[in-house]
Amino acid sequence: MKSKTTWLTALMAIILSLFIGLHFTSNQAQAASKEPVLKIGMEANYPPYNWTQTTDANGAVPIDGSKQFANGYDVQIAKIIGKKLHRRVVVEKTQWDGLLPALTSGKIDLIIAGMSPTAERRKAINFSNPYRKSTFVVIVNKASKYATAKNLQDFKGAKLTAQQGTLHYDLIKQLKGAKREPAMRDFSAMRQSLSSGTIDGYVAEDIEYESYHRVNPNIVAVNLNKMSGFTVPADDSITSIGVKKGNTKLLNSVNDVLAGISTQKRNQLMATAIKEQPKAGSSSSTSTKKENWFMAIMRQYGGMILGGVGMTLLLALVGTAAGFFIGLLVGIVRTIPTPKSTGKKWGLKIVDWILAVYIEVFRGTPMMVQAAVIYYGIAQLWHLNLNRTVAALVIVSINTGAYLAEVIRGGINATAKGQFEAASALGMTHSQQMWHIILPQAIKNCLPSITNEFIVNIKDTSVLSIISVSELFFVGTTVASQTFEFFQTYFIISMIYLILTFSITRIFNFIERKLEGPKNYNLMANQLQVQDPKETGFEHEQ
Amino acid sequence: MNNNNEQHILQVEHLQKNYGDHKVLRDISFNINQGEIMTIIGPSGGGKSTMLRCINLLEEPTGGKILFHGNNILDPKFDLNTYRSKVGMVFQQFNLFNNKNVLQNCMIGQEMVLGRSKSEAKETAIKNLKKVGMDSFIDAKPSQLSGGQQQRVAIARAISMDPEVLLFDEPTSALDPEMVGEVLNTMSNLAKTGLTMAIVTHEMGFARDISDKVLFMSDGVIAEQGTPDQIFNHPQEEKTQKFLRNFRREQF
Repeated sequence: MKSKTTWLTALMAIILSLFIGLHFTSNQAQAASKEPVLKIGMEANYPPYNWTQTTDANGAVPIDGSKQFANGYDVQIAKIIGKKLHRRVVVEKTQWDGLLPALTSGKIDLIIAGMSPTAERRKAINFSNPYRKSTFVVIVNKASKYATAKNLQDFKGAKLTAQQGTLHYDLIKQLKGAKREPAMRDFSAMRQSLSSGTIDGYVAEDIEYESYHRVNPNIVAVNLNKMSGFTVPADDSITSIGVKKGNTKLLNSVNDVLAGISTQKRNQLMATAIKEQPKAGSSSSTSTKKENWFMAIMRQYGGMILGGVGMTLLLALVGTAAGFFIGLLVGIVRTIPTPKSTGKKWGLKIVDWILAVYIEVFRGTPMMVQAAVIYYGIAQLWHLNLNRTVAALVIVSINTGAYLAEVIRGGINATAKGQFEAASALGMTHSQQMWHIILPQAIKNCLPSITNEFIVNIKDTSVLSIISVSELFFVGTTVASQTFEFFQTYFIISMIYLILTFSITRIFNFIERKLEGPKNYNLMANQLQVQDPKETGFEHEQ
Repeated sequence: MNNNNEQHILQVEHLQKNYGDHKVLRDISFNINQGEIMTIIGPSGGGKSTMLRCINLLEEPTGGKILFHGNNILDPKFDLNTYRSKVGMVFQQFNLFNNKNVLQNCMIGQEMVLGRSKSEAKETAIKNLKKVGMDSFIDAKPSQLSGGQQQRVAIARAISMDPEVLLFDEPTSALDPEMVGEVLNTMSNLAKTGLTMAIVTHEMGFARDISDKVLFMSDGVIAEQGTPDQIFNHPQEEKTQKFLRNFRREQF
C-alpha cells in the first residue's frame, strides 16, 4: 500500500513539474518573442470606442495584417498603456465573438474593446479596473411612442434588440412586455434597422447615443438606469480591459497605468473620440449630390475594396488549386484496385477509411465552424500562432479538397471501363494507366464541377470573416459600418462578386471548349503536316 | 522468337468461370499453336468473349489453368504485365485512348511497357499504321474517326507491341455494315504475315476463309472443334448444325 502511494505521488510530481515547466517555458518564449509589441484585440468597428480608418490621422494605430488603422477611445487608452509599458501598440482587428478565444489562445495580449466584465466572462479571463463607467439607454426614434417611456413596462410591445453576445441583449428581458428580436452583429446594423423601422429601438450605452445623435438628430435615448426596478450588476455598467488568466504581471501594470489616468482625462479622450469618429456621410452628402454615392465610396474606400478583392481571389484561387491536388490524391488513392496480398489489402483499407472520415468531416460541417475550430483551436492547444491568411488558405484548401476528392473519384469511375481494359491489355501498370490515360480524361470531365467549386469558393470565403480575414465581404462590412450606406456598399460588393464569378465562368468555359477540340478531322490540312515529319524521320534513318 | 520446338503458345486446361451461381464457362480446354489462326463461333451468351477475356486476365478465371509457353499465368508470381504485352487484344468497342491522337495511341504501350525510345516507337507505329491504311490520320483524335477507322487504328496499336498472339473480341460487331469489309480485309492481310490470332466473330464467311481451326462454343463448353471444312461443311453436333442453318438463311 505504502509503496504504491509513494509511486503515485512521485508520478504525479513528475507530471506536474513537466506541465508547469512546459507551461512556464512556453509562456516565456511567447513573452520574449513579442517583447516590443502589445497586441490589442478590438472590433475596430464600435465607435467611439474603436473604429477603422484608412489613414493614421489623429494618432491612429496600425491594424495588424492590413494597411488600415484603428482609432477611438480604446485605442487612445491602449496607447497610454503601451507608452508606460514601453511596448508598441498593434491592433488585432477581431470580431466580437472572437475576442475571448483570441485572448485565451494568446493571439492578443489585451482586450480593449468597450467590454464589460460580466460574471460569465470573468470565468474565462481576468479584467482590469474599469476604464469607463456607462449608463444604459434604449435608443429609439424621436417620433416613436416609446420615446417618452418612464417605466420599464412602457416598452410593452416594442421590438427591441441589442448586440449579439453582449449584456445589453440580456437587459431586454427586464423590459416587461417588450419583444426581444434576434440579436445583431454590430451597431451599424442596429442603426440601419432602427432607421428603416424593422425595430423600435435597441439597448446600448449612453456613449452610443451620443455618437449616433451627432449624425442622426432624430433619435433619443431613454435612460434605463433611472427606472425603478432596473438592476444591473456593478460589473456590467463598467468597461474594463481583458487580460489572460494567470498573467498577473500584465494585469497589475495595466491597473497601475489606469490609476494614473484621471476622470477628467478620460472624459476628454471620450469627447475627442466622439468628435473624430467616422461620420455617416449619407445625411449630408447624398442630399446634395446623390448620383455620386458610388464615386464617393470608391474614392474613399476603393483601395480597401480592391485589397478585399485581391484577398478573395487569392483564397479562392489557392484554395481551389490546392484543394484540387488534395482531391486528386485522395481520389487516386480511393480508386486503387484491391491488392491481392492481405497485408497491403488491410493497409489500403485503413488509409481508405481515414480518407473517408476526412471527407465526411469536412463536407459535413460548415466551413465557418471549421475556420473557428482550427484557427482558435490550434492556438489554444499548441500555442501556435497561425497567420490568419495562412490559416484561411489552409482551411479553404482542406475544405475544397474534401469536395473535389469525391468529384474526382466520380470522374475516375465514370471514365469508360474500356479505357482501363485497353491499357491493361497493353500491359500498362495501374499507375501508368492512371497518369497517362484515365486522369487526363477524368479531369477533363470534372472541369465543370471544378469551375463550380471555384465559384463557390469565391462566394463562400466570405464566412472566413469569422477569423477576421480581410476578404471582400469583411471589407464590405467595415465600409458599410463607416459610411452607414448599407445598401450602396453591399450593392457594390455584390456587383464585384458577380463580375468575379462571371469572368471566371467564361474563362473556364473557354478552356473546356479548347480541350474539346474540333469535331472533324481535316485530312487535307493534316496530310501536309504528316508528310513532313515522316519524311524527315526516314531521312534520318537512312 | 520463332521457336519451332515449342509448338503450343497457349494451352487452356479445364478453364471455368462463374459469376456467382451462374456458370459462364464450364470446362474449356484447347491449344493455340504458333502461326495458327483460330476462330471461335457460337450463339450469343455462349461464353466466347468471356473465354477470350480470361486469356489475358481481364476476367479472373474461377478454375483451371492457362499455360503460356508452359508457364501458368494464374501463378501469383507470374509477371502479368509482360505477359499482356505479348498477348495483344482488339476490342469490340475499339477502346482507343480518347485523350491521345492516333499516333500516340500506337506509341504509348511501346514506350511505357516495352521501354522503346520515342523515335523507335514512332517508326514502328507509323509502319503499322501504314499496314492498316491509317497513316494519314496520325494527328486525329479517336472522336474524329469513323468506327472502321478506329478499329484499324486499334489493330495497329495492338501489332505495334509485336505480340506473339493477338486476340480479337468481335472486332466488327459494333461497326456499320459498310465498314465491316475494311476491318476484315485488314485482318486477312495480317493473317498472311504469320501472326498467331484468336478471333471471336459472327462473320461466318470470314471465319471459314481465314481459319486454320474453328471452335464452336455453346453454353459454356466447346461443343465441337475442327478445321473450317469439318465445322462448316460437315458439322457433327446438332447444336452446330442448327446454329449454322440460321446463319445460312440470313446470309443468302
